[in-house]
Amino acid sequence: MNTRTVDARGLEPPEPFERAMEAIADLAPGGEFILLLDRMPQPLLRMLDRDGYRHDARFREDGAVEIRIGRP
Amino acid sequence: MSGANPGLAYHDTPPLSAPLRFFLTAPLFGLAAGLVLLADGELLVSRWTPGALALVHLFAAGFMLQAMLGALLQILPVVAGASVPAPLRIAGLTHVLLGLGAASLAIGLGLGQPLAIVAGGALLVGGLGIFLLASVIGLARAAHAQGASRTPRDLRLALSALAIATGLGLLLAFVIGRGMSLPLALPTLVDLHAVWAWMGWGGLLLAATSWVVVPMFQITPAYPAGFTRYWAPATLLSLVLWSLSMSVGLGWGVMLFGTALLVCAGAFAAQTLGLQRRTRRSTPDAPFRAFRLSMLSLLASLVALLLAALHDAPQWPVLAGVLILHGTFAGAISAMLYKIVPFLAWLNLTQAGVRAPNMKKLLPDRPARLQLRLHGIALGALVLAVLVPVLTPVAGLLVAAEFGWLLVNLSRAVLAWHRAAQP
Repeated sequence: MNTRTVDARGLEPPEPFERAMEAIADLAPGGEFILLLDRMPQPLLRMLDRDGYRHDARFREDGAVEIRIGRP
Repeated sequence: MSGANPGLAYHDTPPLSAPLRFFLTAPLFGLAAGLVLLADGELLVSRWTPGALALVHLFAAGFMLQAMLGALLQILPVVAGASVPAPLRIAGLTHVLLGLGAASLAIGLGLGQPLAIVAGGALLVGGLGIFLLASVIGLARAAHAQGASRTPRDLRLALSALAIATGLGLLLAFVIGRGMSLPLALPTLVDLHAVWAWMGWGGLLLAATSWVVVPMFQITPAYPAGFTRYWAPATLLSLVLWSLSMSVGLGWGVMLFGTALLVCAGAFAAQTLGLQRRTRRSTPDAPFRAFRLSMLSLLASLVALLLAALHDAPQWPVLAGVLILHGTFAGAISAMLYKIVPFLAWLNLTQAGVRAPNMKKLLPDRPARLQLRLHGIALGALVLAVLVPVLTPVAGLLVAAEFGWLLVNLSRAVLAWHRAAQP
């Protein structure tokens, strides 16, 4: 199954946050998606930790931040 | 949050009232600065007039400090992962002490009241001491932030510079207010205090914030990693070496490291203007243009500082002060407030589970655009008033109107938030 990618780069706040929240709200149990951002979203990562979502964030070669977010 | 999805409980940022009380108080000091200019037509003839000293502190310890600490309360947790402990109590206490301190200091300096100067200095030191301690605790508890951003490190450097500028300010309050004697000449101590406050605290904080805010809100490429890696350490090192040279009267050191500081400030402005030219925005909005004017004003202030170093005429340091305090900082801070306040209101509503109105509804473009245009006109009038002192009251009226309008616009956003938060 293809993992959905949500590209929220180049957008003015709060749009990246809104797109991330919409995608998280759409996740089925066990589902995951990839979020692309211009910067590391510290508050979002802490929220994901607190609420038990899996996440794996890394910087790509082009400087973008790629986060794989999964619902338990 | 959907029913099936547990969703996210995002309540990590401090309560909205913590930064808002600073943001809504800041313009009152700008308004007071405008009224002082309106009342005293001779105020801008020299940097040493009592009125000029009062004006500088209404701007720096009043307007700028309130806005900067309010922004730090918000930025520390979001960017550096550092939550200030008991944010409401710390904000409340700091806000009151700083407000009273800045007012007392300005009154003391303007009217030549030694007791008010010492009391103002002590209140400011008390407020800043509490804030710095809370920030250090928050930063010590914070996990090391991931990523390439130099903002967390540079925020720490800015706070260190604030501690030094505050200590120098307290010394000055005792020298002026209580006749304390020091081995340093008074003008040297004043210059050390001013440059640590302007370039150390203000410059480093503006840069650390810009590393994040400029690409985020102005949709530009990121600052080059090499630039953000070296800019703040180079600036701070130049500042330390310049200060040592000033303290021991080493003429060539003052010239060399002073020039290095100007180069650092110029490089920051040029880099930011270069990024703005590469924005992906189709049409620059008003805060974008105000930020550009702020950077151009910073470049112009460096020319004024050079002229001040080469000529004895009293207007060059005053012109530099106008371009730095009003042109650079008031412009950049106003531009940032127009982005930060509606965003925080939106975030607060979203956190509360309320369907938040569009950010443009919380703070429409038009009043912000007109107010920022007035800021540009007021800056032009201030520059003219330095050269033609008879224009000072006109500039004062424009500055008072500028900050009064800023307060109205920010209050409008807060009221829109309040209405939307009602069930």
